[in-house]
Order: sequence, then structure tokens, then C-alpha cells
Amino acid sequence: MKRIPLFLSLVVILSLLLSACGATSGSHLDAIKKAGVIKVGTSADYPPFEYVDEQGNKIGFDIELMTQVAKRMNLTLEWVDMPFDSLIAGVKEGKIDASISAFNYSEERDQEVDFTEAYYVGEDGFTVAEGFTGTISKPEDVAGLKVGVQSGTTQDGYVTDVLLAEGVLTEDLVFRYDRADQVALDLKNGRIDVMMTDLVPGQAFYRRTGGLKVVHVCLYSSGPFNIIVPEGDTELAEAMNAILKDLQTEGFIDNLAIKYFIGE
Amino acid sequence: MGSNFFFYIAEGTAITIAVTLVALPFGLFIGLALALVNTYAGQWPRRASAVYSLVMRGIPPIALLFILYFLLSGRWLNLSPFWAGSLSLGIVSSAYQMEILRGALASVGSGQMTAARAVGLSRWQAIRYILIPQAIRLAIPPWSNEASIVLKDSSLVYALGVPEVLRRAQQLSATNSQPLLAFGAAALIYFVLVFLTNRGLDWLANKTRLPTQTV
Repeated sequence: MKRIPLFLSLVVILSLLLSACGATSGSHLDAIKKAGVIKVGTSADYPPFEYVDEQGNKIGFDIELMTQVAKRMNLTLEWVDMPFDSLIAGVKEGKIDASISAFNYSEERDQEVDFTEAYYVGEDGFTVAEGFTGTISKPEDVAGLKVGVQSGTTQDGYVTDVLLAEGVLTEDLVFRYDRADQVALDLKNGRIDVMMTDLVPGQAFYRRTGGLKVVHVCLYSSGPFNIIVPEGDTELAEAMNAILKDLQTEGFIDNLAIKYFIGE
Repeated sequence: MGSNFFFYIAEGTAITIAVTLVALPFGLFIGLALALVNTYAGQWPRRASAVYSLVMRGIPPIALLFILYFLLSGRWLNLSPFWAGSLSLGIVSSAYQMEILRGALASVGSGQMTAARAVGLSRWQAIRYILIPQAIRLAIPPWSNEASIVLKDSSLVYALGVPEVLRRAQQLSATNSQPLLAFGAAALIYFVLVFLTNRGLDWLANKTRLPTQTV
């Protein structure tokens, strides 16, 4: 999903102007180990990856995964909840040490921050209301339909860079929302015809909202999900990669997928 | 969905109130100083305060919030998200409060200053004991408007990860797909806060009204 937010460009320009003032000594990982605490940002409004239960506890695939990673690093995990748009700026400016929030790799993002190895590979899903009678099996099938996406996601990028650019859709047919749950609600209310999201959150919303169905699963814009760390911080990325690899081998990640993506 | 749901959102109320209680007095302090400069100081300080007001009223609070937290904080000063957010809102509010107080000072009238000087008060004494007490009283009704705006703008600190009322409502809306309930609860909380604030200030305005002041 999720690309670099527009607002970030302002932050980036300004930070370039100010970057001469920043000075660091010693490695980031050493500083984290010394403090014994790792501050990890997430946008807890994206079930089943990261969300809150009714007591406000953070739960989800990413949450449990990161908890395990921190535990194996012998660090106390401190969650920082931020809207998705603020996360990359937060990592870049050192407000948080890392972020896990269903981030896909993209070249644009890679210029700002670094990525760990993938911990999960996502797919795109096209979801419609139950009463929908058409068929969607290839991108051209959405021509003339009202399409909703979460703003700043890789799906938004796909709709903008491919479907709009190739003339399959026109600007008045594209609806961009702040959060994924808003897309699902407008779909159910009939204001849009189809929503394009990461598959798993799409399914989660249809389970919660009801009255929706996923009609097309594909890999147009989604892909590997990674934890993001500050630009050039290979030490921290490698430390996490080693643990992610272990968790993969031990089946921990598969079990999480079963728990959150299927067991719901 | 139980009562926990409402409780979780309501817990954000303390943060909403705390942000407001930092931003409003901070804005009042700077706003009053600038209003005095703008009304009584020489030409250049006066122009500088006018430029400050123009700039701070012209940029979106969220942009100032980002600049103060992500760019400035940590380089020259170290502010937590709560303080960076609250102070940014206070800075924006100071420009509006300056305009409110400037108008109030103007409506007290220049005759008061002349009269105060005639009975032997210094310029500063006249401002301190004659003009400010009257201006503050006149400013309460428009200030109560500003107080409600700051109260509601306090939700912007969510962009820095401060879990106030609105962010909690967003999270629960995403969790259980019941936006009407989540945002309804948030709206109710804000309404009660704004209502109480305005009623309190109405009471204060009545209580402190001078006999010479027309309603």
C-alpha cells in the first residue's frame, strides 16, 4: 500500500535546509541498546495489521511481530501511534527508532528511509458491494466505475500512475480517503463502486462491515511488507533481519498470518 | 461493544483539556504583549507585531506543528510531542488573541489615556491600571470564541502521536466499523467541553462587568 505522503516533501525540503545542524556520534543501535528501549511508530487504524481493541490495547499482525522482534533484541518496546502520514517523517527526523505499519517497499520511500527484509508479501484486492453484478478480472474492467483508495497508498499510486495515466479512469471517478475504513464505508453506502486496497485489510473490512465481497485478487501495486529504519542504518536493519529470518523459519510469522488473516 | 469503548475515547479528554490549558494561556500571554506593542509602541515594533500576526494567521496550524516538532525540536530544543503540539497551537492562537485584544484596547478609547495622564499616572501605569483592566473585560466575549476554536484545534496534536479524543475515535472507528458511534462520542465530548467553557466565560463576563460598560 502506502507511498510517500505529499506533506513529506515539505518536511524533506525544510530538513535539507536544516540538515547541516544535525550531528550524531556513536551508532543508533548502540544508543537504543544503552537506553534499553526501542520506540516504534505505527498507525493503529489498519486492521488486521495494526489496530486497537476496545480497551485501547494495540493488537494486530504487525504489533505481535514487532513485540517479538523487540523481545529477542532484549529491548523494551515503546509504541508511538501516529497517523500514517507522519511515520516516515518521524523515522527520518529521529523521533522514533523504526516503524512497522504495513509499509511496502517503494523507490520514493527508499530515498528517505531504509527497509528491512520483507516479513510478509501482500496482494491487492478489489472489493465491491454484494449487489454488484459486473465482473472485474483485469484492470480495464474498472473503466467507468467509481474507484476508492486510501490516499498515499501504493494502490493510490497505481490508480494515479497507471489507470488515470492510461485513460482507463478519469479524475472524477477516483475517490481518495484518509483512512481505509472510510473507503469501505463509502463502498457499502454506494457512493463508490469498487475499492482497491491491500487484500488482507480489504477482507478484514468486509468481515466487519458486511455486505461487501472481494472480486479480484492481484499483484498490481502491493508487495513485500517491511519494517522501516532510518536512512543508512544498516546495523539496525541487519539486527532485525536476523530475527525476522528466525521467526520465518520457526513458523512464528505463518502462525500470525493464520491468527489474523484467516482465523478472524 | 461495551462501555469500554466510550471510556477509551473519554480518556483522551484529559489530553484535550491539557493541550488547551497550555495553548490558551501561552497564546494570551504573547497575544497581550503583542497587542500592547501594536497599540502603544513605536513604528517598527508595531510593524513587526503586525507581520507576526499576518504570518501566524496565514499558515495552517498543522504546518507549524510539523515544523516545530519534526524540524526544529531535537536540533536546538527538545520538545515532547505534547509540548511541541501545545506550543504550536499557542503560537497560532497568540496572533488571533493579539487581534482580539488590540480591538478591545482600541475600543476603550484614547480619552482614557489622556485622562489618566492628566491625573498624574505614567504611561505604563495608565496602561497597567486603567486600560488593560477595561480591555480584558471587553475582550471576554470574542475571547470565548477563540477558546472554543483552540479547544477543537487541540485535536491536531494527534498528527504527532498524542492520543487525544479524535485520534481514539478514529482508531475505534477502524476497529469496529461503527464510525457514527465513535465520532458521535467524540463530538459529544467536544460539545460538552465547549459548552462549559462558553458558559463559564459568560458568567465571568457578567461577574466582572463594569457599571460603565453597556451590554
